[in-house]
Amino acid sequence: MLSNYLKLAWRLLSRRKFFTFISLFGISFTLGILMVALAFLQSELGTNTPLSNKDDFVYVEQLRLQRTYFDTITIIDTLFESGVEVFDTTYEFKESGSGATQTEMSNNIVDTYLTGMESAADMTMFNASNYHDVYVEGVKVSLNMLMSDERYWSVFDHKLTEGRVFDKAEVESASNVIVISTETAQNYFGREENVVDEEMFIDGKTFKVIGLYPHKGKILPFVSPDAVSPFTTMDLSLIDNFYFGPFEVMYIAKEGATDKLKSEINHAGTLVPIDHPDNEYDFKEAVFRPTTYDEMYAAGVLNVSNDEAEKSLSTMKMILLGLFLFFTILPTLNLINLNVSRIMDRSSEIGVRKAFGAHQGNIITQFIVENIVQTILGGLIGFGIAWILISIINQGGYLGDSVLLFSTKFFIYSFIITLIFGVLSGFLPAYRMSRLQIVNALKENKL
Amino acid sequence: MIKLNNITKVYRTKTIETTALNDIDLHVPKGEFLSIMGPSGCGKSTLLNIIGLLDEPSGGTIRVDGQEVIKYASKATAKFRNEKLGFIFQSFHLIPDLNVIDNVELPLLYRNVSRKDRKEMAAIALESVGLANRKSHFPSQLSGGQKQRVAIARAIVGNPAIILADEPTGNLDSVMGDEVMEILTKLNKEEGTTIVMVTHDERMAKKTDRLIRLYDGSQVA
Repeated sequence: MLSNYLKLAWRLLSRRKFFTFISLFGISFTLGILMVALAFLQSELGTNTPLSNKDDFVYVEQLRLQRTYFDTITIIDTLFESGVEVFDTTYEFKESGSGATQTEMSNNIVDTYLTGMESAADMTMFNASNYHDVYVEGVKVSLNMLMSDERYWSVFDHKLTEGRVFDKAEVESASNVIVISTETAQNYFGREENVVDEEMFIDGKTFKVIGLYPHKGKILPFVSPDAVSPFTTMDLSLIDNFYFGPFEVMYIAKEGATDKLKSEINHAGTLVPIDHPDNEYDFKEAVFRPTTYDEMYAAGVLNVSNDEAEKSLSTMKMILLGLFLFFTILPTLNLINLNVSRIMDRSSEIGVRKAFGAHQGNIITQFIVENIVQTILGGLIGFGIAWILISIINQGGYLGDSVLLFSTKFFIYSFIITLIFGVLSGFLPAYRMSRLQIVNALKENKL
Repeated sequence: MIKLNNITKVYRTKTIETTALNDIDLHVPKGEFLSIMGPSGCGKSTLLNIIGLLDEPSGGTIRVDGQEVIKYASKATAKFRNEKLGFIFQSFHLIPDLNVIDNVELPLLYRNVSRKDRKEMAAIALESVGLANRKSHFPSQLSGGQKQRVAIARAIVGNPAIILADEPTGNLDSVMGDEVMEILTKLNKEEGTTIVMVTHDERMAKKTDRLIRLYDGSQVA
């Protein structure tokens, strides 16, 4: 029976060309745009390399030292008693303001308070704000050089195209080795391969290139930097503050333990002593504000501080859901409308089918199959449209350095959207028409 | 086989009530070729639709093989229509997007019949109406007589016990009409198929076993 439905669906598409064109145009463009949006989300939030572990990421960007100020507040009220003006003065001792300072952390803080968390499967620390201008034959090349430890490569799983990453021994011995992105290789050496063992002269030091990873766009400076080298090659003697330094920390939580890890990190904040002389302004509290990757991303998109990261993730989810519903419900309603008129046009066929033994379920199945065939066809065209749009966006660099990605997940999600679209827009009209009285359906006599 | 008792059909709108059928009692025994005649609007087609369980009466009872039909939209009724009834309509009602053989096999789609068997049964039905060479044609490529023969093939493909024909020769010229009548008569005589036919044509009605006449919704003869 299914093959019969499929055959009929195909014939209907080829026979009713104008209707097919209108339907496919609507479906393919809607799905095409949705697929581009999905590719964008997938490239920004998806678990692709080097972010395969991102769902378990917990990020500590800075240490915050804070205090609340209390003061005596004088309140003077003017009253009239028996026509005479009197002053009623009250004094209240209460919160009058707060102050805080926050910066990336010192090596000491990371080592002493943020290392060895029970719920962490892995962690790395890095200095993400290391910008250098290097000169290649007199031409300036700006380089965002990430200084990190060897665990950076297990937390962020870059897939190297050649060479290797640096190891613990190289970190400990402060080896001048560097792993660079293909973009850096292109900018510095004029090629994207065969650069291992070449040398780069950066900030007065010579680094030996030992590995190459694909450029992923500047998703976040520490996710896809231009180059990575051991943090020990920095002059750490310049970092002499007890609290603050250049380091941020990224953890991979044990499975399902992100919340627990966040609690442990919050607890670690309470252990940081506040009586150290480097606490110049007598702050009373030390706070790490751990966030998940998605929270951090949402806070970045909504341009709010990490304090509001958790809230901003739910806000962003609501916005995305709203946009998704808007972009799917409107065309779905439109398709339902088109389908009602298309199916109405075939009411006598429904009458004949029912007269010869089709029950309501048969009719609904038939029209849904037809609709799914149509939407899958629209989906394939939409996929083509999305592919063209994504290529244009990537080549034109319209999203800055963000690169939209095609992936298996992308295809599966798109296919699911297509199916949902097909079933939704087919079911309602099919259900309505399947309830037609046979006699009334036959009277339409459009066969 | 089918027994109608006190069947009435009333069409109601907000302002008007029209009685299409009034207390019809009818018994269609197995193997009978019955024709129903009467002027336009007398309720012939309504009666045929009620016999075929395509329409619900306003009152009265229908018994099929001794069982009363209650739920008209049920799966059981659909199954009954599929297995026991075959329909032939005045305006053929072939599905334009399906070719001849796919149109003919339509009733078999709603049974557990394999694709191969469906094709074989449809080919036999088409051969019996003399259209074996038109399998791949579409309805738009056929003459009126050929369309009606395809419709007959569709009605008989599932070997139903009863054929209900609503003015099957109404849209055909006399030669083609005779051809269609010949097929129906042969079906009745040779296969023992019960046929109930609505017609305007006295000449066609005379070829059947029994004739009933309706006038203003009542049986007058």
